[in-house]
Amino acid sequence: MGHFSVSVVGRDRPGIVAEVSRVLFEQGCNIEDSTCTILSGQFAMILVISHPKMAGVGDLNPAFEEVRSKMGLMVTLHALKDDEVVHEKAFSGQPHIISVYGADRPGIVYMVTKELARRKVNITDLNTQVVGSKDRPVYVMVLEVDLPEGIDMKELEREFDRIRKELNVSITLRPIETMEL
Amino acid sequence: MAILPILKFPEPLLKEKSAPVESVTPEISGVIDDLLDTMRASPGGVGISAPQVGVLRRIVAVDVSASKRGSREENHGLLVLINPEILAKGGRQVVREGCMSIPDYTANIERAQWVLVDAVDREGKQVILESVGFEAVAIQHEVDHLDGILFLDRVSSVKTDLFRRKKYR
Repeated sequence: MGHFSVSVVGRDRPGIVAEVSRVLFEQGCNIEDSTCTILSGQFAMILVISHPKMAGVGDLNPAFEEVRSKMGLMVTLHALKDDEVVHEKAFSGQPHIISVYGADRPGIVYMVTKELARRKVNITDLNTQVVGSKDRPVYVMVLEVDLPEGIDMKELEREFDRIRKELNVSITLRPIETMEL
Repeated sequence: MAILPILKFPEPLLKEKSAPVESVTPEISGVIDDLLDTMRASPGGVGISAPQVGVLRRIVAVDVSASKRGSREENHGLLVLINPEILAKGGRQVVREGCMSIPDYTANIERAQWVLVDAVDREGKQVILESVGFEAVAIQHEVDHLDGILFLDRVSSVKTDLFRRKKYR
């Protein structure tokens, strides 16, 4: 069985998902995982698909030509190795939410994520948005992260403090508490 | 007393409506003991409903005093509610819920902040109680089970509200 990643980007309008899934269905592909979103009017979709026989993207790629030209979509395919497809996250850590907001300025995402990467914090979800009025834009970033076991929380807080002062942003870190029912 | 296996979605019994309990017989008492044993045996478990162990009767148990956040808030400790009915609710809150019957996911679910519940207790006595915060969420989640409603039925956005549970070790 071959696994592939498919990414689709293009100006949002009705029918994109139907067209992409039609091609996949006609080619005998199975959609295993997918997500999509709209960013500033651009529809973006990423899928992991499988096919019982196909091993390379060679057969699949031409099947998307019509969708590409007719709908003006960018469709990119990649073959995945078996060990690249994981259904359970191997990374262990404590789930937390980090919210960051402040006056819009360049570097907020980089400054925060750089420090997280240095401490081997895994980002599992990231959303950024500019909200507020045109003359007073506010940048909002919400990250879901897994903090590795044994991370020095005091030291991380100190680092956040430095970023708070430097960028004049508010940063809150809190554990995600799941209610087990 | 026994720890019972928890039914997992897509087990069809979880989508059934449970029947009211007519009186607290020794058999019903036994079901309650088993429910409590099963709830306490699950890590972090703060609530359970009879249909989750395959008994289609309107019985739930909740005890948020065992959880970190629950213990910080106003709560009733262990609550066994038979034929619970939510008479009124107010406010709103979003809590990340996990369910023993849907082990692979957690979800942010919007619930009422405050509920007024009518039920019968273990001794067969009619009780009316108010609950807020974390405990109110637990009650609403468990009462949903009695009507065959799972948290997946209350997710409003798969993108922002549903989370694949990360496996730890």
